[in-house]
Amino acid sequence: MATAGKVIKCKAAVAWEPNKPLVMEEIEVAPPQKNEIRIKVIATGVCHSDLYHLFEGKHKEGFPAVLGHEGAGVVESVGPGVTEFKPGDKVIPLFVSQCKECRFCKSPKTNLCEQSWSSDRYAQMSDTDTRFSCRGQPILQFMGTSTFSEYTVMNQIAVAKIHNDARLDRVCLLGCGISTGYGAAINTAKVEPGSVCAVFGMGAVGLAGVMGCKRAGASRIIAVDINEEKFEKAKIFGATDFVNPKAHQKPISEVLIEMTNGGVDYSLECVGNVAVMRSALESCVKGWGVSVLVGWTHLHDFSAKPIQLIAGKTWKGSLFGGFKGKDSVPDLVLDYMAGRIKLDEFVTHTMNLEKINDAIELMKNGGCIRTIINVSK
Amino acid sequence: MATAGKVIKCKAAVAWEPNKPLVIEEIEVAPPQKNEIRIKVAASGMCHSDLYYLFEAKNSAGFPIVLGHEGAGVVESVGPGVTEFKPGDKVIPLGAYRCGECRLCKNPETNMCEKCWSNIESAQMSSSDTRFSCRGKPVLQFVGTSTFSEYTVLNQIAVTKIHPDARLDRVCLFACSFCTGYGAAVNTAKVQPGSVCAVFGMGAVGLAAVMGCKSAGASRIIAVDINEEKFEKAKIFGATDFVNPKAHQKPISEVLIEMTNGGVDYSLECVGDVTVMRSALESVVKGWGVAVIVGWNNVEDVSTRPVQLIAGRTLKGSMFGGYIGKESIPKLVLDHMAGRLNLDEFVTHTVKMDKINDVVELMKKGKCIRAIINISK
Repeated sequence: MATAGKVIKCKAAVAWEPNKPLVMEEIEVAPPQKNEIRIKVIATGVCHSDLYHLFEGKHKEGFPAVLGHEGAGVVESVGPGVTEFKPGDKVIPLFVSQCKECRFCKSPKTNLCEQSWSSDRYAQMSDTDTRFSCRGQPILQFMGTSTFSEYTVMNQIAVAKIHNDARLDRVCLLGCGISTGYGAAINTAKVEPGSVCAVFGMGAVGLAGVMGCKRAGASRIIAVDINEEKFEKAKIFGATDFVNPKAHQKPISEVLIEMTNGGVDYSLECVGNVAVMRSALESCVKGWGVSVLVGWTHLHDFSAKPIQLIAGKTWKGSLFGGFKGKDSVPDLVLDYMAGRIKLDEFVTHTMNLEKINDAIELMKNGGCIRTIINVSK
Repeated sequence: MATAGKVIKCKAAVAWEPNKPLVIEEIEVAPPQKNEIRIKVAASGMCHSDLYYLFEAKNSAGFPIVLGHEGAGVVESVGPGVTEFKPGDKVIPLGAYRCGECRLCKNPETNMCEKCWSNIESAQMSSSDTRFSCRGKPVLQFVGTSTFSEYTVLNQIAVTKIHPDARLDRVCLFACSFCTGYGAAVNTAKVQPGSVCAVFGMGAVGLAAVMGCKSAGASRIIAVDINEEKFEKAKIFGATDFVNPKAHQKPISEVLIEMTNGGVDYSLECVGDVTVMRSALESVVKGWGVAVIVGWNNVEDVSTRPVQLIAGRTLKGSMFGGYIGKESIPKLVLDHMAGRLNLDEFVTHTVKMDKINDVVELMKKGKCIRAIINISK
């Protein structure tokens, strides 16, 4: 490509500081260095974790940054040493890398990777090294991905190559929300056929959790949300029961325990709220219940009485649904293409990158599931 | 027996109110009703959970009560409908039993029982129905067992029959500490060969957990205790490393993470302190580390940041080491008789019941592991 080896000036939505709207800027994107790939981002979703960093986490060392981590695109150029990718390949950036060499990559029990920014920069939510600058200032690459930019640069260990016929403005959702929720059910909770599940939070991650519970053969999937408008979509994904905690006097865990003869076999917390995390554990049956934290927050502790665990409940957590990205995301793309998993049903809105702040407002008001942002032509 | 069918007047150590010494009293023990057994208690250990109830639980309503739940004895008489036991049988009373009928009992994956749990979890840690009285007042039976009494009465579902040649002043330890600690390692954590373990708290439960980790083939067992006098015995049970948190400036979890290239594979909290529980979780390696809460605490919350679980750590708890008493204790007794399990190393003192408050003091100061109390002749 004509741009190979050169700095690219392109459009990006920059978060200059916390709690402020994103600003459309022209940024400079450096060429890929050794083992890196420069990607033309075609489409991206907006995920609640983008908003978390902007409005809740607000870590000083995490700004200015280009947000966005749920994208898909096409390789523009590759740096020295890259043999796995070539210009024109369709790819999905991964916010959890898979180097395949560290002891975590070598273990089947986890999808962590020692090379990932998330190993120690999970509060700042980015690496210190960046390929972006704007008006002379370095701009951080949020979660290593930065998909609210027409171009981004990533190490090849954090990029998945996907099928050439993949529809990028749908499979971008596999870059986070859908893989996160679906995998939490299938890989982390390991939902078993016939079991009873509760999913807290009917955003995209929760709906994907419902989809995962259904795929795993759950006999009952209880969708829990304080916004009853979310229940219609939850039903489409396979939820069988619908509970609004605000419609009850009793605590939600007591309501669920009564509905299920003692508690659910699996619960997934897909909100990122520590009080909901507690309720999700307390809603599980003693003896074998498993509760999985899926939603992200780093601001407060979560808690429970020790006897909840002593009584036989297990508390786990899930990052990117437990999927090793380079191995699994291409397969998830094929699952979508073959109709084995739904993605279209998550999409409620489509906009261009210039309208990104509208997409953020929609999300804050719970008025969307996924807005697809068309980033480049 | 001459006493069958009649009230027995006998000696017991009564806890009249919290935070006060036990008082040796003459109590009345009613005869066993339908499906019940009256047991002459030969020997009992004192366990930290007895002291937890007396000094930490902060429950003034659940008194007067006879404590003690780590006992062994001989059947004195049986009530109507009892066919499984006869006078003279050697038995161990169970604080954790199974009713056989509830949803939990029907699942062989757990040792929990709804009926049993509701008594243990209650503020008074006992049923309101009691066979004991003293000076006209009903006296509660702690977790249904009350082994600080020459006689006690339990439903036959909460008693296990053991070999007639069992040495009662040793096998009483199977009623709690041994099973609780050893089982937490082999049944709940499911320690794998070659793994690295940390056990917090070198009381009897922690030492039994060390024994369990060793039996499971752990390559390193780190004994953690603020009292370095405990390390000598920990070594006898198989500990390979010894850490006193008070000897370090850094938090204990950081010390352990540094010692083990990222954290231990399994940690067992055998103290019952929520701060130690947090440290135990934060000491396990991300990706696959498992922390097990073994020590009892129903007063405070255990807390940590969500990232601990989202990064792949699992938090579990263990009740009675995951053992089903009626199935496992008879076999453990045979193991002891055959020399496969050494209980002598737990026993640091032997006393008569009239010295029971001396044992309370020894336990409070961490000056004993197990004092065997000879209850009856």
